[in-house]
Amino acid sequence: MKIHKPTTLQEAAGLLAADDGAQCIAGGATLVAMMNSGVVEPSALISLEYITGLNEITKSSDGSVIIGASAKHKTVAAYVDFSEAQNIVGIAADKIAHPPIRNMGTIGGSVVVGDPAADYPTALLAAEATINIVGQDSSRSISAEDFFDGFLSTALEEDELVQSIQIPAGPENAVAVYDKIAKIAGDIAILSVAVVIASSGDSCDYVRIAVGGCGPTPYRVPEAEAKYIDGDLDAAIELLVAASDPMSDVRGSAEYRRKVLPRVLRRALTTAQQMGGRE
Amino acid sequence: MNNTLTYDLKINGEIETVTAPAQETLLTVLRERLHLTGAKRGCDQGVCGTCTVLINGEPMRGCLTIAALCEGAEITTIEGLATPEALDVVQQSFVDTGGIQCGFCSSGMILTVSSILKNNPKASETEIREGISGNICRCTGYEKIIDAAVLAAQQINGAGR
Repeated sequence: MKIHKPTTLQEAAGLLAADDGAQCIAGGATLVAMMNSGVVEPSALISLEYITGLNEITKSSDGSVIIGASAKHKTVAAYVDFSEAQNIVGIAADKIAHPPIRNMGTIGGSVVVGDPAADYPTALLAAEATINIVGQDSSRSISAEDFFDGFLSTALEEDELVQSIQIPAGPENAVAVYDKIAKIAGDIAILSVAVVIASSGDSCDYVRIAVGGCGPTPYRVPEAEAKYIDGDLDAAIELLVAASDPMSDVRGSAEYRRKVLPRVLRRALTTAQQMGGRE
Repeated sequence: MNNTLTYDLKINGEIETVTAPAQETLLTVLRERLHLTGAKRGCDQGVCGTCTVLINGEPMRGCLTIAALCEGAEITTIEGLATPEALDVVQQSFVDTGGIQCGFCSSGMILTVSSILKNNPKASETEIREGISGNICRCTGYEKIIDAAVLAAQQINGAGR
């Protein structure tokens, strides 16, 4: 195995394109665990640590926040310039595993795995985030919703890497709630729900509800969000549960997930309503 | 064929020159090349915390760290805490409260507690519990480890007065 230490994103993309067996490494929290268990055997590791600025978080003039791919979970969790709506991502970052893992793991490394039960993907859907991707001679942006395209699968091509994650400012007067059910604190979620709502006056006029761990990818249901805006919480929950396609794994059965999902949705939405001052 | 690399690591203040296959983790290099066996191999998946070492002062998993990517970093292992004359204050607290039983988690626990108290000497019991939440112990039931951390905090704060 070779180790490369490129100093620019273009150089990294070139190295990635030149070697089919090469893998990018940022924090190592997922990739090295997979190497240790023999799931992957990269021919080369391309460290992203030496690329200036890739770990930075910046706020644009339009209020959107751009999180560099190699920003650690700890850095994202501690970032103070998120808007209330954007903060769904910061809250989720703080729920990932334990402090030593948050010292190592990065947002880019997390999203490229495409684990529907991971904390970032669900939060990124609720935040309507965009994933910025680069290849050797290309760059493109794709919505988080389209990026996660299957179980442990993403729209990232083999010779592409994630440059950053862009989170729009979102509405004013927003409230963000991330509700995660796990066997023990710090474990991967059995399921999770990310909610961003905003109200003007007495009425809620904006909601984004994302569900993770209940299907091959995290998902939203726009019809359910419309029902919620209409004040029909029960119908919203029903539509979201109907869209679930949970599987059974070591953390919980599909049946358990179907039973718990409506309750977690109700709890998350009710909490958000109370925080937002809506009865 | 393995690509062998030669690189320098700064461990407990000393530069160590390592020659090892590129994919070796810091844990493997520490234990099998440098014979610093304080860091333990538990799960090799980053879950259990027994391999925890401090990298630039922050607790991280030795088993998930590629050693060759640690050039330039300050690495602290359990072997770097005590002086020949005395245990470090956190180590001594673990001894005094009975926070050590089989010892397998102790290196990781002690380094993690050291880092928590270095970052925040006034850390509350809740903050200590949260800080060591990524380190598993199967003997103590954790209470005596918490006692040790609280005792160490008291001693560090007392000494500063």
